[in-house]
Amino acid sequence: MKVRISTGEKVFRVCNYIILTLVALVCLYPMWYVAVASVSDSNRLMAHSGPLLKPLGFSIASYAKVFANPMIVKGYGNTLFILVVGVFLDLIMTSLGAYFLSRKGVMFKKPIMMLIMFTMFFGGGMIPFYLTLRDLHLTNSRWGLIIPFLISTYNMIILRTSFESIPVSLTEAAQIDGAGHFTVLFKIILPLSKSILAVMVLYYGVGIWNAWFWASAILRDRELYPLQVVLREILISNDTQAMGSGGGDAEAIAMSIKYATIMVATVPILFVYPFLQKYFTAGVMIGAVKE
Amino acid sequence: MRKSWKKGLAVLTTAAMTTAALAGCGGGNSSTTAAPESTTAASGETTTAAAGEETTAGGEASEATYPLADGGTLTYWLQLNPNVSANYTNLGDTELGKQWQKETGVTLEFQHPAAGQVKEQFNLLVADGNLPDIMEYQWVKDYPGGPEKAIRDGVIISLNDVIDQYCPNLKAYLAEHPEVDKKIKTDDGNYFAFPFIRGEEKLRVTVGAFIRSDWLEELGLEVPTTIDEWHTVLTAFKDEKGAEAPFCFDWDNFKKNNIVMYGHNAMYDYYIDDDGKVQYGPVQDNFKDYLATMNQWYSEGLIDKDIATLNGDQVTSKMTTDKAGASIGWAASRMQVFITTAQTTNPDYMLVPTPVPTLEKGATPEYGFIEDSFPDVGAAITTSCKDVELAARLLDYGYSEAGHNMFNFGEEGVSYEMKDDVPTYTDAVLNNADGWPLAQSLAKYVRANYNGPFVQDGNYIEQYLQLPTVKECPTVWLAPGAEKHTMPNVTPLQDESKELATITNEIGTYVDEMVLKFIFGTESLDKWDEYVQTIQNMNLERALEIENSALERYNAR
Amino acid sequence: MEGNSFKVRLRKDFRRNWSLYVLVLPVLIFYAVFMYKPMYGAVIAFQDYIPARGVSGSDWIGLANFQRFFQSTYFVRLMRNTILLSLYSIIFGFPAPIILALLLNEVKNRKFKSLTQTITYLPHFISLVVACGMIKDFCLSTGIFNDIIVLFGGERSPLLQNPAYFRTIYTASSIWQEVGWGSIIYLSALSGVDSQLYEAASIDGAGKWKQLLNVTLPSILPTIIIMLILRMGSLMSLGYEKTILLYNSSTYETADIISSYVYRIGLLEQDWGYSTAIGLFNSVINCVLLVITNKISKKCTETSLW
Repeated sequence: MKVRISTGEKVFRVCNYIILTLVALVCLYPMWYVAVASVSDSNRLMAHSGPLLKPLGFSIASYAKVFANPMIVKGYGNTLFILVVGVFLDLIMTSLGAYFLSRKGVMFKKPIMMLIMFTMFFGGGMIPFYLTLRDLHLTNSRWGLIIPFLISTYNMIILRTSFESIPVSLTEAAQIDGAGHFTVLFKIILPLSKSILAVMVLYYGVGIWNAWFWASAILRDRELYPLQVVLREILISNDTQAMGSGGGDAEAIAMSIKYATIMVATVPILFVYPFLQKYFTAGVMIGAVKE
Repeated sequence: MRKSWKKGLAVLTTAAMTTAALAGCGGGNSSTTAAPESTTAASGETTTAAAGEETTAGGEASEATYPLADGGTLTYWLQLNPNVSANYTNLGDTELGKQWQKETGVTLEFQHPAAGQVKEQFNLLVADGNLPDIMEYQWVKDYPGGPEKAIRDGVIISLNDVIDQYCPNLKAYLAEHPEVDKKIKTDDGNYFAFPFIRGEEKLRVTVGAFIRSDWLEELGLEVPTTIDEWHTVLTAFKDEKGAEAPFCFDWDNFKKNNIVMYGHNAMYDYYIDDDGKVQYGPVQDNFKDYLATMNQWYSEGLIDKDIATLNGDQVTSKMTTDKAGASIGWAASRMQVFITTAQTTNPDYMLVPTPVPTLEKGATPEYGFIEDSFPDVGAAITTSCKDVELAARLLDYGYSEAGHNMFNFGEEGVSYEMKDDVPTYTDAVLNNADGWPLAQSLAKYVRANYNGPFVQDGNYIEQYLQLPTVKECPTVWLAPGAEKHTMPNVTPLQDESKELATITNEIGTYVDEMVLKFIFGTESLDKWDEYVQTIQNMNLERALEIENSALERYNAR
Repeated sequence: MEGNSFKVRLRKDFRRNWSLYVLVLPVLIFYAVFMYKPMYGAVIAFQDYIPARGVSGSDWIGLANFQRFFQSTYFVRLMRNTILLSLYSIIFGFPAPIILALLLNEVKNRKFKSLTQTITYLPHFISLVVACGMIKDFCLSTGIFNDIIVLFGGERSPLLQNPAYFRTIYTASSIWQEVGWGSIIYLSALSGVDSQLYEAASIDGAGKWKQLLNVTLPSILPTIIIMLILRMGSLMSLGYEKTILLYNSSTYETADIISSYVYRIGLLEQDWGYSTAIGLFNSVINCVLLVITNKISKKCTETSLW
């Protein structure tokens, strides 16, 4: 199967591995740092300066403290709810829009596309948006973090581009057999788009996982806080500049607790990726089958 | 276990709505297992609550009997203090929250913004128009245009009639303390909030400098009282003790309270000069001298190299691990915490508070930090409130004797006991079973260590500051002239407020930037005149004019 | 005639595509309610807006809010910083994920590839507060970057207190956080490239470099172009959050951008009209840039957003 590999190519391959390994190390180290710091002995961590390669002592006391905070557990629940419901609805809505925009010979496609695109670069600002949420009774509710954010125009355009690349012959064949648009989208297009949908799940999922601003703006009931708002409160409490006024006289949170909180709030979303990764390989196969 | 207890409470809360007899967890230091008892306690309270009578009479402010008989429910918006949010999601879940509702007979639904997002959420709520009944906020500093504008914008109501009719306790307090009375009125004479008041002078000196006394002893040095002595001490810390950052504090928190600045008779913001006129600190010649000193110290490595980017936990780390020897901060949550933390590994570790230094030995410090007795936190009744009388009665409770004790000391027999007529915190607070820091266990029972609609009691600080060396802080830190030079909470006229904000913001940005550049030496002090001129060009004159007339109106209240 | 033919086309279109329009209806409603309805509110840019009085009750003040921004002492500096910081991100930040994707695409060892991929995604999962906290730690005079500088014979200095380094730190950290994540889109595009094309090219004797130029890049060019156009269209809208988490007053000179200024002065002071005006100004510039880039791209590469 293989032809001769030239020297140049060999050098390239070696360099490529080296470069990628370095990139990976740079990306890995901060996470490693946090992980190691979170299980380190609090006092030794404080005295330490310079790079941290392995735990200084070992203690999971900080994790115990983090989970003793009732907000963390509640935050998990809320985030999970918003994540599952949100991603599901996001995918449906985005697919509908992307499917429409990927069809050919539709008269109002272009004006609608323009109207949609326009919103990427033009917005009404905070107050009018907030008032819209209030009118729809979406403030102080978890739905207020789902419904107004159902579609990311950027994601929809990516999905549209992907739908467009699906051979027209496939959909035409189905339509000749009498399939409506609904059937074409859900029976033909979507099954062929597993890989890009997996990417969408990650895009929306990570977006929802890390979102905090509107949650902190519209929620007055702390029971409803998603995890990131809780995390943010804990992290910036040491940082008055970010706190604005009202920080004031409070004890700084121990470093190891800070790091344990980061771990608790970051690790779960990391596990989503390997689960979706197999669809990425499937994506490669679909690409190869294409005529 | 904890969870089921919470759930039980939630059920109770709803059940007890009408009777307003919310169960506080009766006895016991550990509240985690109190669910069964509280149920019985609740039914027990019902009768007491019903027995309460409320009388309303015209003219004189009518006395109310707590708990109020016909109770009711109010929504109450306030920032949840970090010491509370560390363990609770809602103020109503704390022992104080439960006691407050039980004793007043009012059911409170607390709403809290996320930390760091207080202004954003407040602004959105105001835009919304559908406000909670009561809101605690910094009405003078954080409501653009001040409280008078908040009243005219239709956000909060003027409390003049309300206090007159329903608030005998606050009314009595204000009659006794005319100096406080004028602070919670607008220039037009409208009361706008139920204030948090620091009841004694020692409660108002909350920030100052402290230094490693074990190092001083070892090096044979005295606690520094002049700028030159500070220089000697810090140099010794660096050279003899190997401190990489002898003087270390988080600049953003304490740049306006830097004792080196006070020592040069300089101020960072608007202040009142010897003639009673408002001046802007950062353009005075004294301020230039201060910057020269800071620049010299910085280049000599006496000040933390990273001072502009530090935050609380980094300062804690440096101060407790021999990397720094002196700092600026709060007595309890910084100094006391540093000592207790560091002593676990170094029993000799000790800090002492240092007075504001002077340029000449033996002089009296003229400038220094002292907080206003009304630190601009007040609970206002909004225009959305349907039952103003109930809200007023609720908020007035904090100024009664019972309310005073509740907010400052919690529940008698649980969180405090009377010892020689002095309310004394029990072990439930001082040595709590959960292993919480003192600030958090205090926040479970009281609001004395942050704020609220009541008068803060000096006894609280005596007990909160536990170590003898920390107890000295307020006395040592107080600069005799500080009060006279500190700006009170003045408010500009409505049409001036935006103009003043714009000028002050532009100048403030420039000053913040240039001060650091002068200190770091990235900009030479030869450019001082240029710097002053730039600030003048930003219309400092006009800002001073507005501030001065605001001060005159304030003094005339 | 014209109207008639339009009507005919309209009728034809509806007969053929009515179910498609039904399908897209929820999407249109979404955009109408959550995007266009609030957009009407942008008129407060021309008002002295007071929430209690609403849009209809507030005073119209024409272009005063815009004037105030243009006349601000900091206008020139804010513009310069915003544009420069954004350009930095485009020049260095835009190609980075493409290069990473191309490099990853050349890796034959599956395990290594997926491991590297996964690891490079990691920083994206870290929320901004956390990431900025780490950056601040690493930039301290005692931090890891200074350890490295000293290793190469340099001198320790607090990196985030020096205006000269701010843009570098900002851009580099953005690349670090987004490079792996950004490469997903290109990797997906690359996986769609027909392997027969490569085989044909290598039979023709094309080396790796030639294959890259003649096969790979043309195949993913549409993706690259679209991404670039989108990126250009948001040149002016750098978020305030990262800036306010990283800057301090000593770096205002290079760090202060329009959005952080609006945050400090507009948003926190309830100055809604003013902050909306600046937002509007940003949006207009963005739209102009978008149209221009799209036009250029249409001419040069025949790929365009519309």
